[in-house]
Amino acid sequence: MDLFLQQSANAVALGGIYALLALGLAVVFSIMGLINFAHGELMTISGYVLMYCGIAAVPFPLAVILAIGAAILAAIAMERIAFRPVRGSSGATLLVTSFAIAMILQMLFQNLISARSQPVLLPAILSESVTIFGLIIGVNKIAAIISTIVMLIFLDWFMTKQKTGIAMRAAAEDFSIARLMGIHANTVIAGAFALSGLLAGVAAVLWVSQRASVDPLMGFTPVLKAFIAAILGGLGSLKGAVAGGFLLAFIEVYLSAFLPHGMQEFREPIGLAIVVLVLLFRPNGLLPAKTLAAEKV
Amino acid sequence: MTSLIELKSVSVSYDAVNAVRGIDLSIKDGEIVALLGANGAGKSSTLNAIVGLAPVSAGKIIFDGTDITDFSSETLAPLGLTLSPEGRRVFATLSVEDNLMLGAYSVKDKAQIKAAYERVYELFPILFERKQQYGGTLSGGQQQMLALGRALMCSPRLLLLDEPSLGLAPIIVEQIFELIALLRQQGVTIILVEQNVSMALNIADRGYVMASGKIVAHGDAASLSDSTTLENAYLGAE
Amino acid sequence: MKKILLSTVLAFAMVTTASAETLKIGLATAQSGGLAPYDVPVVTGLKIAVEELNAAGGIMGKINIELIEKDMRSDVAQTIIAVQELVDAEVSVIVLPCDADPSLAVTGIVDEAKIPAISTCASSPTLPLIGGDFVFANFPGDNVQATVSASWAYEQGYKSAFILYSPDTQYTTLPLYFADVIKALGGSVVGTETYSLGQPDFSSIATKIAAISPQPDIVMTSAYEPDFPSFLKALRAAGVTSQVIGSDGIDSPTTFSLGKVGENVVFTTAGHATKGSELEKFNALFKQKTGKDSDTVFNAVGYDLIKVIEAAVISAGGSTDSQAIRDAIAELENVQGATSLITYKGTTGMPVRQVSIIRVKDGERELVGQPAPVADLIPAPRMQ
Repeated sequence: MDLFLQQSANAVALGGIYALLALGLAVVFSIMGLINFAHGELMTISGYVLMYCGIAAVPFPLAVILAIGAAILAAIAMERIAFRPVRGSSGATLLVTSFAIAMILQMLFQNLISARSQPVLLPAILSESVTIFGLIIGVNKIAAIISTIVMLIFLDWFMTKQKTGIAMRAAAEDFSIARLMGIHANTVIAGAFALSGLLAGVAAVLWVSQRASVDPLMGFTPVLKAFIAAILGGLGSLKGAVAGGFLLAFIEVYLSAFLPHGMQEFREPIGLAIVVLVLLFRPNGLLPAKTLAAEKV
Repeated sequence: MTSLIELKSVSVSYDAVNAVRGIDLSIKDGEIVALLGANGAGKSSTLNAIVGLAPVSAGKIIFDGTDITDFSSETLAPLGLTLSPEGRRVFATLSVEDNLMLGAYSVKDKAQIKAAYERVYELFPILFERKQQYGGTLSGGQQQMLALGRALMCSPRLLLLDEPSLGLAPIIVEQIFELIALLRQQGVTIILVEQNVSMALNIADRGYVMASGKIVAHGDAASLSDSTTLENAYLGAE
Repeated sequence: MKKILLSTVLAFAMVTTASAETLKIGLATAQSGGLAPYDVPVVTGLKIAVEELNAAGGIMGKINIELIEKDMRSDVAQTIIAVQELVDAEVSVIVLPCDADPSLAVTGIVDEAKIPAISTCASSPTLPLIGGDFVFANFPGDNVQATVSASWAYEQGYKSAFILYSPDTQYTTLPLYFADVIKALGGSVVGTETYSLGQPDFSSIATKIAAISPQPDIVMTSAYEPDFPSFLKALRAAGVTSQVIGSDGIDSPTTFSLGKVGENVVFTTAGHATKGSELEKFNALFKQKTGKDSDTVFNAVGYDLIKVIEAAVISAGGSTDSQAIRDAIAELENVQGATSLITYKGTTGMPVRQVSIIRVKDGERELVGQPAPVADLIPAPRMQ
């Protein structure tokens, strides 16, 4: 039982990170109909900022703020430079554009920084663990859970109480009508990218705090997980992204924890099979966006 | 008296399809003008072209002396021009209040926004009762009221109404038309696209009849009611 | 990028015009993608050796080295294209990427063209075994490293081991060799887990290890970045205090900057810069050439590779014929590289090289020892 609870705590912490990642994709998808595969590179940028801050002995809290800020700026720049010129193009064009951005950034990281992993200096406290109700939980896991809760509360507040957030939800539902109200497409889309940058930045800090290093290809795995989680939850649905993130984490952790030893090698295919199974019964995901068919700009 | 809005040989094309073919329209301040015609005649495309939701391939649209042909949708609400779209298209996942709030998105003056809320809630007390409810949970008639209310939130000078009675119960339709009459008293200029021809002409000052993307007749409401042009337009004869 | 490549080639080409003979070496290595972290530093070290040799007039003072570089982009199909192009360019030696899998894909081509091919740093002993007569490695084999670390552990009194491996690559299955050796020595393996490369979270595995009673003396893995730090942190956070043993993949600055978590980790690698050693000399040369400290032994491994080729050309009497060079490599004994003495004679292409055991102490590397493995204990290479 203890083991089950312990593994559940592990799953909650991982689920939080997946949820943040999937939310980052979902925020942009809900408005532009774009799955931004360069989302992972926003995380890599945050990672490198953390690395340079470590070298320059910048206090960690400040480094975190700088890292998150860098991801937000990079996201806004990405939209302005790369996605605005192709806005309104087909989904395939947008998708290929995002792949191209991801590859260009990876190349830049490899050539301008280093092809090799760079160590990121982290406060020792992040490697400690504490015992809560008999469960041993790493401080970085607690940080992940708390950050997720804070981000979810912030996002909920922003999306339901703030004029810009409400406008973004409206635009996600019906972009043309939202524009008719005088809501500027540029504002909403830049806002969505800024939010996705914020989510990428927070996720990156949590991600890097686990692995203590950053390399040019760091963004690949998280964006893949985010994609699966977002599909699982229902593409374009913010609540779905959160649900998908947690479900994916629980599937992965429980399989890793409780699958018989001989089958551990097939953990990933079994995990993906479960995802496919869920989608067979709920083709639009757990909590599908109500307006998936609405026209996207 | 000059026109509040004028369309000069406006055409609308979606890829290869010419939905509107060089129409001229002129509407004066304070008028209610009905735009009539069979399905596919180009009525909605005309309204959408005015608010920038449909591509204008030729011609000019002048609103209050300004050429707005190439203006994007989001710049029109501040000018006092808005559309209550066909099928209502309220934001289903937003509360009634938030729907209305977005209607006044382009309005900066807080007092004006407050007045707009009061006006809308006075016109539609039901919206006030349900202001916390999601747009998608309202009945069809209430959604139409919300769509109208949302359009009124920016205190438009020109309101485009696209099929406001579509799919509604007769008693609700009557309420909607009463409201349109009320708006006219408040000085709102209205272009009304309606399938309910008799009610539309009953309330309108003038009417234009469209067929196959062209205007085939226009005149004051009374004369259009009497003529056979309308019948011909609906039946497809020229 | 192309321009830079071209100018590099031109630079080498200009030097070569002065001499009569040229040895063409073709590189089909990763300048981008997942293998770049290993191939790039190896190629950096390799170029330092080439530059040094050419500046001295070339091999035997007369044979200049010309490098032809192709980026295989960490992709198997690209490796095949790159190697075919190098064969068409009539190179004498081909350098293959660090990973055994793309290298195995081209063994047929090099075998048919009869051109010796040396992997930058693949450590899987199966590569030269399956690759045939023309394929060589340039690193202490996984089975040798595992023998060295398992023997050391057993001597320290660590007898029960938990191993974590990944079936995703040949290299990450190194712990299976470790398991063989520790069992052969009389120790035991109390648990085995697998992971996938780039796995986001290791806490579930750490929790399972923490639940083993009694706790294993050793946790052994050949996971490397980003998996190793992630696993290690999860392991320590779960309260496991067992001795952690790794292999050359974690010979990386990150391992030394983990703080308390990284302390006392032990791993095997290709060399250690003891005072007066060849590696120390190489590191000085590296600093002089690049202005930076060499932060990985893979730089020196690249230098070794050219030293091997140089020795082979010399022993072939200055021949640049690919068959003659292959035959010479296979008979090389005690070539002095930057990391160790290197011997190919009597092997199937996996060189006998010294293995160094390193411990992380106060964030610095500490040499535990450079023991020679007992030959009988070394497990036979096998495909996983």
